[in-house]
Amino acid sequence: MQQYDMIIIGGGITGCAIARELSKYRLKVALCEASADVAAGTTKANGGLIHAGDDPVPGTLKALLNSKGCLMYPVLSEKLGFRFQKKGSMVVGFDEKDLAVLKKLLERGRLNGAPDLELIGGDRIFDLEPETNRKAKYALYTPHTGMVDPFEVAIAFCENAVANGVRLYLSSPVTAIRRAEGGGFLVTIPKGEIAGRYVLNCAGVHADDVARLAGADEFTIRARHGDLLVMDKNCGIRDVMTLYPVPKPESKGVVLMNSVSGNILVGSTAVMMEKDDVASYRDGIEELISSANRLIEKLDTRKVIRTFAGNRAVVVGNNNDFYIRPSQKVEGLFHIAGIQSPGVASSPAIAAYAVQMLKAYGVPMVEKDDFIDTRTPPVDFSTLTAEEQDELIHKNPAYGRIVCRCECVTEGEIVDALRRNPRPTTVDAVKRRTRAGMGRCQGGFCQQKVLGIMARELGLSPTEISLGGADSQIVYSKLKEGC
Amino acid sequence: MNKLQFDVVVIGGGPAGMGAALKAQENGASVALVERNPRLGGILLQCIHSGFGLRLFKKELTGPEYAQRFINRLKDTGVKVFLSTMVLRITPDREVVCMNETGITVIHAKAVVLAMGCRERTRGEIKIPGDRCAGVMTAGQAQHYINIDNFCPGRRFVILGSGDIGLIMARRLSLEGMKVEGVYELMPYPNGLVRNLKNCLEDFGIPLHLSTTVSRVIGKNGRVSAVEVTKVDDRQRPLEGTSEIVPCDTLLLSVGLVPENELSLGAGVRLNPRTNGAAVDDSLQTSVPGVFSCGNVLHVHDLADNVTMEAERAGESAAAYAKGVRGESTADLKIHCEEPIGYTVPSVIRSREKTSVMFRVRRPCDRARLTVISAGEVLLRGKPRRYIPSIMEELILTPAVLQKAEGEITMKIESV
Repeated sequence: MQQYDMIIIGGGITGCAIARELSKYRLKVALCEASADVAAGTTKANGGLIHAGDDPVPGTLKALLNSKGCLMYPVLSEKLGFRFQKKGSMVVGFDEKDLAVLKKLLERGRLNGAPDLELIGGDRIFDLEPETNRKAKYALYTPHTGMVDPFEVAIAFCENAVANGVRLYLSSPVTAIRRAEGGGFLVTIPKGEIAGRYVLNCAGVHADDVARLAGADEFTIRARHGDLLVMDKNCGIRDVMTLYPVPKPESKGVVLMNSVSGNILVGSTAVMMEKDDVASYRDGIEELISSANRLIEKLDTRKVIRTFAGNRAVVVGNNNDFYIRPSQKVEGLFHIAGIQSPGVASSPAIAAYAVQMLKAYGVPMVEKDDFIDTRTPPVDFSTLTAEEQDELIHKNPAYGRIVCRCECVTEGEIVDALRRNPRPTTVDAVKRRTRAGMGRCQGGFCQQKVLGIMARELGLSPTEISLGGADSQIVYSKLKEGC
Repeated sequence: MNKLQFDVVVIGGGPAGMGAALKAQENGASVALVERNPRLGGILLQCIHSGFGLRLFKKELTGPEYAQRFINRLKDTGVKVFLSTMVLRITPDREVVCMNETGITVIHAKAVVLAMGCRERTRGEIKIPGDRCAGVMTAGQAQHYINIDNFCPGRRFVILGSGDIGLIMARRLSLEGMKVEGVYELMPYPNGLVRNLKNCLEDFGIPLHLSTTVSRVIGKNGRVSAVEVTKVDDRQRPLEGTSEIVPCDTLLLSVGLVPENELSLGAGVRLNPRTNGAAVDDSLQTSVPGVFSCGNVLHVHDLADNVTMEAERAGESAAAYAKGVRGESTADLKIHCEEPIGYTVPSVIRSREKTSVMFRVRRPCDRARLTVISAGEVLLRGKPRRYIPSIMEELILTPAVLQKAEGEITMKIESV
């Protein structure tokens, strides 16, 4: 049986960030993820906003970790080679009532220590973002708001963790957790049992279920569902600053933002729903469209290329705060739960905080001297100059073969992705690493090509490759045998 | 980086690109034809059904057979064909930046013909709510899996949209022993060709449900397990209480085609919002001088033969432009079309030579006639007949008619 010091349950951005942080120490760490890929739950259904920390209620864990996390991103982006763009944001107000709310937000932001906040009005709004609805009168401007691609960040954390010795178990839902004789835990995954001294519960919307498996029935999670939509890069508007509406008591409202890949994203709605319901809803999509048009009137919402949805984990009775603490009932079990918005922005700080928590608990933590601090990012052909592209193709002709024409992804990049560790095994996992299939045709032209390359590289038949794991195979069988 | 120069560079090696390249070459231009796939023919290669060539060859050919005729002709010409070559961008001064396994090549063109074709609208574009699972694909994608890749992409299908590809696929799936539960169409009338309704649905006993849409995708373990279908009112809004669950494992979408003008936009070409293709004059020249457009990238056609004929016009114009031949300059005649005419191609006429104007109605008109008016004078009046959205119409304007026109031509279709 494999023995670990730490077993992390849940490979979302939180679990991956923690795995990387723990890999700095002389510890044997396992990361168990139920899906076929990391970042496949709440993390992938996220807009990628890096909030500056102005929004959370002062004094909460969220307020502390959001401001810290946001400031950690620029350095992490350099080290781990993921895209981070400081776009700035405005909360847009239209009348005196909105102004009163904006003033309160400003005060709250200053209390949280968010730097350089500014209450602005009139033409300054349109100087900063010319596309803003012309009826806007006031805005709270936050220059430090950033954007990332949330799965790119989680994958970067995970790859770096794996490079530093973390063992990743994919397609490994935890079905039982029991006490081991002599302390620690035995955790059951499909491969069998693995043993760990400590268990870190990062299981997102299912963190309460995992806690119960371990005998710690101490909190309940509800899911707050959010619909999002993605616009075509050629929707007539490009490179906008992040725009928020004035928040309502129940939600921060629908945000309009520009992804690091150049698509406008609109999201997300906030409706309590069943945990596993990540379907998109008609009324949610309609709300997104009307909200987006309030922020930017001329946004052509016929140019939507994709809608998606995800669930944020809300711990009941926890005032919408993160729930990060040792279990009160089970020794050696830690909950990193209730990581709702701004979870992506906070994740690096959450990981650092989790380490502090373990140290405070008395877990022996000795730093490694051979920790690899950086990660070489994969080639992104589409962002290179023509000269660089030419040179790359001369070195390897596979970069001269376009697979995804919408996003300009080459066969070389798909093969690169398939040779990284951890290795993606589903079409969606390849999409999240390379953007193949993320463009306006949504894989209509390239899915079959990706499937062919994957089959070749992984030594499988295309009938064995799925979209996203489980029964999501793309083609069932050969139509006619013998050809 | 490689640098090359041609009189005419044609982008796209489907029926439009091949037609344009052949005609430009015939008119004395040096021609490069750039195709992203390893073979010429474009989407024709996966259209193994017959029905191509009726107009041009008076024969019923399959897609590959139709394509082969042009491929064979190209072999005997000096057209330089670049296969497996992707155009990355076109600059407004007609530098075509391409890539293939040998690296990046910049081709300077005296004239460019855009012939990139179109793509199918997707689930995201029409915003079908529900689970995001495997088993939702466009009809063309399924066609590729079946006809090119030899894979079975599903067992039990629902088809949304009665466009021709959807109808053709309904028959194809049935012939391969797969089950088609039905074809659902949002509009109160079918969108495909009449002959396809008969040959592909009726003959196979596949029901067509009009004024009905797929309102939700239901998935189980990552794959489609059913769809919810709902009737819609005359403004295409779902009617409450009319939903039904149809078990299936695959949803095929045949919900419209969109010209793929991303390269055109990069070159500064102005689009016609009615077609999503370039706004062109009667020589099929776009708003960028020396850049021409034809085929499905200009506007979506229903017959490949029409694509070829249009492409030949573009090829001829491009060759003339490259050689510095300029037509006699006359005042622009703008074509203004009234509802229910959706669009016209061209939208402006510069010469006073015989001009073919293609147009399409937005909704069926049972007994109606076409009238062409300019400066208050009726120039043409057609005989009463039926007009339907699935048939592209052609109006020939003779020099005699054009001479009488001034400033603007208005085209209308009125019920009688």
